[in-house]
Amino acid sequence: MAEEEAAVATEEEPEQTPEQTPELEAGDPGQAGLALVLLAPEHSHPSPTKYVGIAVFLAIVTALEVALYYITMPEWLVVVLLLVLATMKFAIVAGFFMHLKFDSPMLRRLFVTGLILAGVVYTIALFTLSVLV
Amino acid sequence: MQAAIGHAPHTPAPGDHDYAVTGIDSRKLGMWGFLASECLFFGALISSHLLYRSRAPEGVHIPHDVYDIPYTSVSSFVLLMSSLTMVLALAAIQRNDHRRLRIWLLATAFLGTLFIGGQVYEFTVFTHEGLNLSSSVAASSFFVLTGFHGVHVTVGILWLLSLVGVSLRGKLPAENHLQVEIAGLYWHFVDVVWILIFTVVYLVPNTH
Repeated sequence: MAEEEAAVATEEEPEQTPEQTPELEAGDPGQAGLALVLLAPEHSHPSPTKYVGIAVFLAIVTALEVALYYITMPEWLVVVLLLVLATMKFAIVAGFFMHLKFDSPMLRRLFVTGLILAGVVYTIALFTLSVLV
Repeated sequence: MQAAIGHAPHTPAPGDHDYAVTGIDSRKLGMWGFLASECLFFGALISSHLLYRSRAPEGVHIPHDVYDIPYTSVSSFVLLMSSLTMVLALAAIQRNDHRRLRIWLLATAFLGTLFIGGQVYEFTVFTHEGLNLSSSVAASSFFVLTGFHGVHVTVGILWLLSLVGVSLRGKLPAENHLQVEIAGLYWHFVDVVWILIFTVVYLVPNTH
């Protein structure tokens, strides 16, 4: 019950008060630099309504993918379109649902490094083994 | 300076022990590092399947022969929607709405269980069609890839249910929303891996 009241109160005032900037000691560039890193801007996450909109879009893209499976088209075109749509879905989930678009660029670099490393290594391996040609 | 901070439910303070000099919580950084390594793990399994997906003895089915695309499409849709419920759970705890947090976490776990149930059914059908872990290299690579993904989903379900339990005991206050966020990162990753598996393994035509 108390939780529900707290939730209602929060919904009435969705905007959170920004936390106070800690006092920086004058003449201490190390601490000032650390505080600047720690207090780097965090952009607002999307609202629940926007999340639902994104999910609807992802569902439509999935339906398109399945439709491509049944449509008679040149095979290379089907493969290209399927990969483009899958990449789009991947990017949207990672960017919005995993908040990679809004979080620290360091997290983005970390994940993208793993992704690119995997992509390059296994693409080379599959080309070498003549799977992709 | 304050205006630039924006919506930061748990802005770290200098000296906060969970935060490295990067300004990112160590647990979150660790999870992203783990997910980056998982890209290589699943990349290896997907590549192996691409390499072996047509290799089967004469007269033995390859997985592509027995795929039920409409059925797997529904499963994929279920897992995709579980990502929505997961992110709504995180949004709920960030609003200090614990009732909705538990509802969305349970909904996510339910959708995940539905997906796993679908996978078990699919494996059963494939087994009746003569496909099993040792029937061909193609079947092995398929079962290992989708099986490992299923294990990841199962771990995710257990994780979500444990969060519901912690929340019910009142030990998951809004300021600990990072616990939900980290579980969410894992869950969404499992979803994006399935996005790739569904496309590359199921939908891309097998011509070799």
